Parts: sequence; structure tokens; C-alpha cells
Amino acid sequence: MRVANKTIYDMVKFNLGKITEELNHANRVVSTGKRISDLSDDPVGLTQALNIKSALSNFEQLGRNISTGNSWLTASESAMSNVQDLISDAKTLCIQMATATIGASERISASETVQNMLEEVVSLANTELNGLYIFSGSKTDSAPFSQDGTYNGDNNPFTIKIGRDSSVQVGSDGGAVFGTIFNTLSDLKDALVANDVDGIQTAMGNLDTHFDHVSNKISDVGSKMLRMEIKENIFQDLKINNTERLSEIENADITEAIIDLQAKELVYQAALASSAKVMELSLVDYIK
Amino acid sequence: MSNLGAIFNIAKSALSTQRYGLDVTAQNIANVNTPSYSRQTPVLEAVQPVSSGNLIIGQGVNTAQVIRSSDQFIETQLMQQRSKMSFSEEMENYIQVLEGIFNENLDTSISSMLSDFWNLWQDISNSPSGISERTALYEHSILLSEQFSALDGYLANLETDLTNSLNSGIGEVNRISNEIAQLNGQILELEAGGNTVNDLRDKRGEMLSELSEYLDVNTFDQPNGTLTVLTARGCILVQGDSSYGLEMGGDNGDRVKWQASGGTTVDITNYLNNGKLGGWLTMRDAIIAKYKLDLSSLAEEFVWAVNSQHSQGVGLELFQPSSNVTGTYKTSNTLGDLNYGVAADAYVDYSGTFKLWIGDGQGENLQDITIDLDSVLGNIEASSSLTDLRDTINAQINDQRPLLNGTVAASLSASGDAIIFTADANHTFGFSDDTSSILAAVGVNTFFKGASAGAIDIMDTIGSDKTFIAAARIAADGSYASGDNSNALAIADLQYTSLDIPQWTCDRITGNTEGNLNATIENYYHALVGSIGTTASGISSGRLINEEMVMKLSDIRDSISAVSLDEEMTNLIKFQSAYEAASKLISVADEMLETLLNIK
Repeated sequence: MRVANKTIYDMVKFNLGKITEELNHANRVVSTGKRISDLSDDPVGLTQALNIKSALSNFEQLGRNISTGNSWLTASESAMSNVQDLISDAKTLCIQMATATIGASERISASETVQNMLEEVVSLANTELNGLYIFSGSKTDSAPFSQDGTYNGDNNPFTIKIGRDSSVQVGSDGGAVFGTIFNTLSDLKDALVANDVDGIQTAMGNLDTHFDHVSNKISDVGSKMLRMEIKENIFQDLKINNTERLSEIENADITEAIIDLQAKELVYQAALASSAKVMELSLVDYIK
Repeated sequence: MSNLGAIFNIAKSALSTQRYGLDVTAQNIANVNTPSYSRQTPVLEAVQPVSSGNLIIGQGVNTAQVIRSSDQFIETQLMQQRSKMSFSEEMENYIQVLEGIFNENLDTSISSMLSDFWNLWQDISNSPSGISERTALYEHSILLSEQFSALDGYLANLETDLTNSLNSGIGEVNRISNEIAQLNGQILELEAGGNTVNDLRDKRGEMLSELSEYLDVNTFDQPNGTLTVLTARGCILVQGDSSYGLEMGGDNGDRVKWQASGGTTVDITNYLNNGKLGGWLTMRDAIIAKYKLDLSSLAEEFVWAVNSQHSQGVGLELFQPSSNVTGTYKTSNTLGDLNYGVAADAYVDYSGTFKLWIGDGQGENLQDITIDLDSVLGNIEASSSLTDLRDTINAQINDQRPLLNGTVAASLSASGDAIIFTADANHTFGFSDDTSSILAAVGVNTFFKGASAGAIDIMDTIGSDKTFIAAARIAADGSYASGDNSNALAIADLQYTSLDIPQWTCDRITGNTEGNLNATIENYYHALVGSIGTTASGISSGRLINEEMVMKLSDIRDSISAVSLDEEMTNLIKFQSAYEAASKLISVADEMLETLLNIK
């Protein structure tokens, strides 16, 4: 084919332009460390990356939910354990006070101890976490138990979300947890005041039932905590896996990117050298 | 018999012809860098010899014509390919702007803002009575609304920019058409004598190629040397020495119209497929139009999904005594005309019910009224008016709780296009269990107001008092609790719900067609962003292919038409040697004449 001078110059311009564009892209990949800087660089990868980012954001939120839930469960467990200890103390007191050698005045002074215990149990049942009552069902803004042990909450325990389709009740229906424990303590106090050994023994039996009931509730809380821990570990794993996948999609393999850049540099230099050669050739130079 | 004078004549013709050859070579060399120049070659021929007796005597040389090396087929191909290249170059310029607008590497992207929006609802569910969580959600929702509006605004600005570009492009088209018409006139005049005016034809070719960078061009050579230029729909731009202009017209001044001579116009907007004009129109009416519609559909579905769930719930307190709640979605006609965004009444179930709860002045002792849209006290349909809705609500309050009649009542706004619930000084109210979605449709107890990507905003009631964010629900017994997070959890769960969201196809000829994509709000947005990327990468590779095609065709064109200095240097020497030889001829003839004259 006949080659005009214009063809040579146009070809040099076109080729150098194309190589510069590729060189610029290779340089951008190396200097940003990212495979995708424009949407068009890899639209499919980009869509995947966005979906993964949303999922990661969701996992982080669920992680925060779980830690909120854990603080509720920990507070419940500690309040319930304290109540259990108090029940156990009350029972020890009952055993002492039920013996025949104990006199009426000693029983009256023991009744004051029981009154303190009752107040302590009410106060534990009214445990607050960040200003919210945890044994109040969903009426978290008001104390669930009045001093006489009447339950004012509801039976709709506070619930948190720990997964796409799963949630956990981390608050409690106080009425169901503590039941008639306040009546039992109150009855025990009355029996002590009345020096009524039979009454003391009835109370002792009821305390056993309460002790078992609270134990069951504590182990419920324990199993919920376990479930949350498992969930948390799953989310940790998912987070690590997804972060790795995200990095595979978004981040450039630096070694590969640098080799690519060097290859492009080489091509560019070769093109520059040959262009310079071709452009300076002309018959004009040989005619004297 | 030959004579000496004949030698002089032959030498004279040789001198002038070879010198003319040098002139043409000089013109070629001078135009080595002129893009549309076609190299010229003088065609030499021996002058018709004369016979003298039985001898034939040559009469020297003559330049018969100067040929212009040009292949019309390749020139046309190149012109059309250049037209396609300007098309894809403009498309690429604008799609890059679009890519920048939807850049997802920024923290302010809608994608991460949507994730945060759902997360904030979960934060509220973790602490439903907390005010700081509610404030955080409110502030973030404003940002999200602003981002939707901003994207919508950027797209609208791009459309305006493109219309402005069209306007100035059309000015250029008219100027070039006019110049071609003038060149036609000059060529017609100068070629009347039978000559070919190579330089003017080159000039006209150049103008034509400039014109084809703007729009579709078709040409016909006329026997008289003029060129007829047509564009889309066969509209004539140039005929002989007259040109016909284009103008912007239509209701919004955004249509391209061809002006016929009688003052009538033809709309060629949808038929321009090449050149910058074609690129701008495709960008505006097919690509940006699609993403603008997609974005708006997404915003509408998002607003509807959140609103219809939010309207089921209750805030930390009921709507207070002496306060009123005004519906934000309005209509002066039928309920079917309510502009709540998503495709109208398909979303409202007119056989459904909702509960209106009326409490005492302290927001306690709630009593319910079940408002049945399909009631004997007023049957509400899509064709009913807000007045019908108001009347049936008030009638059902009176019917079910006569003692509460008038304590909380429905009424209409002054202009009659919005429904209002008003409590007297001693009563409070709230809503629950809306199976009809009518509350979301009239914009009562919703989270957002506004229904398009550009108009989305947060309800004023929530703006002024965050306790109205409905994280809880009123239970069947009329109780509601600050620790109830059931509605907040239901709203947070919307992030996992796949919805049928309209997805648009915009075709410049067949118009906009609505399809749909079943996806979650976020995945739909991700697909939208991915689709912009795919479109952009398609346009870029198209541009690259066009560029290579232009390069190939240019090579072929240049191999036929462009100047090679090596050739011209050779020609230079060829004509120079011939000129020297002809000079020698004269000097030899002169010597011969002298010899003759010196005979004593």
C-alpha cells in the first residue's frame, strides 16, 4: 500500500495515544491499589462488591445488637443470681429460726432481716440498664415492681434482632421470673413476728420452689448467652470471609499490577523510539 | 518539412508544461499536512502531431488535465465512520460524568447511606425509648433524602446541558449547510466552462465531513457538479445553492425540527442516530432518561415501603390534645389520583380496615374504632373522594363509640385536597393495624413525605418531635409501651424484603417501557449502578472500535489521496530534469540558428 507522510504521523499519534491511555490506567491501578476506580472498570465485580459491603454493614449492626443483648442478659443473670443468693440466705435463716431453742424476740429481730431481704429482692427485680427496666416487659420506662411486689409491667419482653430471621428475648416478663417470691418473703416475715414455727416451715418449702424456679430462669439466660456467642462467632467468620472476597474483587494484585505497568512502560518506550526513527526518514535529506 | 521554429515551439511547450508540473508538485508539497487535501497529478499528453508530406511532425507536450486522486466510496465511508465516532465520543464524555455522579467509592453514596438507614432503625430497636438514636435516624434520613434529590438534580442538569449542547450544535449545522450551499454555487459557476475546480471540491468535502460530525448525512452528486445533502428522515439540508435550517422547538424547546421552505417543520429528534447530535440525543432520551426513571422508581418504592410500615406504629406518645395531623399526599379528585409515588391504587386495598385509637388527655385508657373502608356507612373505592373518606370515618366513630363522637374527627384542608385528623383539648389519638394502607396513601402517620427522588423529605411532625418516630405498636388491649420495638424491627426487616421495583427501558423510537426487577432496595440500587458501569464500558469499547475503523479508513483514504514527500521529491527532480532538458533544446536550437545565420 502507498504510504503518505500523513499516514505515518497519524499512526504515530494514534498508537502513542492508545499506549499512553493504557499506561495511565496501569499506573492508576498501582498507585491506588484498586482494580475498580470507575464503574465501567468491572461492572459485575462492582455490583458484587456493593452487595458484600451492604452485607458487611448488616453484620456489623447485628454484632452491635448482640453486644446490646449481652449487656441485658448479663444484667439479668447478675440480678437473678443475687436474688437466688438471697433466697438461699432466707432459707438458712428459716432453718435457724425453725429450731425450738429460738425465742420470740430473736424471731422478731430476724423478721427485720427478712424485711431487708424483701426490699433487696424488689430492688433487684427493678434493675435498670442505661435507664431501662429489664424485668418490665416492654414497659421499660417504669419500675416493674412496687414495694409490695405488685407487677406493673407487661408480658411482652424486650427483644433484639440477632440475625436476618432470628431474634432473642433479652428482657424479661418480671412477673414470670419472680412469681410469688415477694409473698413468700412477706409471709415469712409475718410468721417470724407471730412466732409461728409452722408458718416458717411453709415458707421454707416455698423458698425451695422459688430457688429452683430462679435457677431455671438463670440457665435460660445462660443458654441465650451461649446462642448469642455462637451467632457472634458466625458473624465474625462471615465478616472475615466477606472482607476477603471484597478485597479480592476491589483490590489489585500489586505484583501483577506492577508487572503490567512495567510491560506497558516497555511498550511505550519502544513505540517512542521507533516513532522517532520513522519520522526523521525522508528522501528530502538525501537530495543535495 | 520540419523547420527550426518547430523545435522552439516544442521546447516552449515542454518548458511551460514541465514548469506547470513543478507548480502542481509545489502545491502537493505545500499541502502535505492538509487533512482533506487530495493530491493532484498533471496528465501530460503529446500535442496532436501535424503531417507534412509523408512525415508526421510532433508538436510538443501539453497538460491535458490535473487529476485529483480521490475515491468517492472511501470518502463516503470515512465520513460516515467519523460521524459514528463523534457520536460515541460524545456518549463517552457524558457517561463518564454519569459514572462520576454515581461513584460508589465515596462514603456519601446512596448504597452506604441505605445500609446506615436500616442500621439506625436497628439501633432504635435496641433502645426504643432513647432520643439520641431517634435524632441520629432523623439526621441521617435528611442526608439520605438530600442525596436522592441531589442525584435526581444532577441527572436533570445533565439533561439541560445536553439540550443546550443541541442548541449550539444546531447553530453549527446551519452555518455549515449554508457554506456548502455557497460552495455549490461557486462550483456551479466555475465548472460551467468544463473545468474541474479541485480545490473548491476539496473544501466542500471538508465542510461535509465537518457536517457529518454533527449529524446523519447522506449525499447525492448532481450532474451539474453540485451536491445535495440530506439528513435523517430524508430532510434536505442543502440543494443546489440553497440550504434549509434546523431549529429547537416543541413544548419544552428540546426537540430538533427541520424547517421546510413553506414554514412547516418536521420533528427529526428521534431519528438522528449519528454525529454529536445523535450522541447527545441518545444520551438524553435513552440513557439518562432511563436512570432518572429507575432512580425515581427506587425512591418511590423505598418511601412507600417505609411509610406503609411506619403508619402501622405509634411513637413514644400519641398525637396530643388540640393537635392535628394533616395528610401529605393530596388530591382534589379521587383517591385513585393521590400522588403517593408508587403506581397509584394497586397499593391500596379498599376492602381493608384500620384502627383509630382515642385516648384521654394523658394518652391513657385508649378505645379503638375499626374504620372499615368497605362499610355500610360509606363504601370507599379508588373512585371515592377525600370527602367520602372523611364522612365514613366520622360516621364510624359515631357508630362505634358515640360517646367519643367529635373528640377526634376527620376533616378536610381549606383547599379540600388533604385529610386532617384533629383532637379536641381532652383527647389524644393514634393508629394501628392498617390492612388497607390507606393511611400511607393519604400520608398520615408516615415517616417520609414527598414521593419522587427529587421531592423526598421527612414528615414535619417527626422533624419537630422525634418521639413521633413509630418504633412501637398499639396492642390489641390499647396499651403501648416505650420499650416496644416491634415496628422498628419490622421497618429494619424491610432491608431483607424483595420488592417488585419498576425497571425502565427507554427507547427513542418506541418510548419508555416499564419492566420490573424483584430485588431488595439496596440490591436494586446496586444493579442500577452496575448497569451504568456496563453501559459505560459498552460505550467505551464502541468508541475504541469506531476510532480504529476511522484510522483504517483514513489509512486507505490517505494511501489514495494524501501526499507522500518521497514521491513529490521524485516528481520535483523528474520535472526539473525535463525542464533542464527543454532549456538545453532551446540552446541547441539557438546554436543551430546561429550556425545558419553565420553562413557567409
